[in-house]
Amino acid sequence: MQNPLRSEAAMFRLLLWTVAVAVVVVVIALIIRALT
Amino acid sequence: MESASIAAHEHEHHGPPTANRSSRVDPQFLGMYLFIISEIMLFGAFFTAYFFLRVVHGDPWPAPGTAIPVAVAGVNTAILLSSSLTMHWALVSAKAGQRAGMRAGLAATFFLGLTFLSVQINEYVSLGWSPQDHSQGTIFYSLTGLHGAHVTVGLLLLLFANIRANRGHFSPEEHRGVEVPGIYWHFVDIMWVFVFTALYLL
Repeated sequence: MQNPLRSEAAMFRLLLWTVAVAVVVVVIALIIRALT
Repeated sequence: MESASIAAHEHEHHGPPTANRSSRVDPQFLGMYLFIISEIMLFGAFFTAYFFLRVVHGDPWPAPGTAIPVAVAGVNTAILLSSSLTMHWALVSAKAGQRAGMRAGLAATFFLGLTFLSVQINEYVSLGWSPQDHSQGTIFYSLTGLHGAHVTVGLLLLLFANIRANRGHFSPEEHRGVEVPGIYWHFVDIMWVFVFTALYLL
């Protein structure tokens, strides 16, 4: 099994997760902004 | 018996003891990860200044009478995220021994990164305000400029990887010259997601 610490794929997955979390944060921020 | 064992050991080993080395991470990868950790702290300092301005000081964002081109930056974000996809494709191809895919992926990543940087420079030219105009401008140019500098370094690493790939380097067994720049490139993209979200969207 390849060591996850020496993997570009792990960093790529982290990027995808970052994008997903950023989308959620922006949507929540826009909803709060629209309601207040 | 014991003295014989010691004598045998002394016979096998000469000179200084071998350097201590982690059994889990290769030095090249460990170096890149430590570098990335230091980079996170550097970006953190700039983000602290940004959030101090907006949250603690309560200044409007962007500065009154100015605008930030969100749509153009959004397209540019898509370009940069695509370059991570092609980078991943290049490494998957390298591991599978598909040289054409690896070379195409590396070349596409390089040119997508170059496009991102060109659009960013064009944005600077057309913004109509500069870092010294107001504190918002200082933070905006500092954070995007810091990121742009990292893209430039990433492009240099990719240039070397492209040249080596076209010279026949890298194999399914040995492809660290693609993987380490790939890790750095994904980090640069992750940082851009933070910069784009904070400066352009929120």
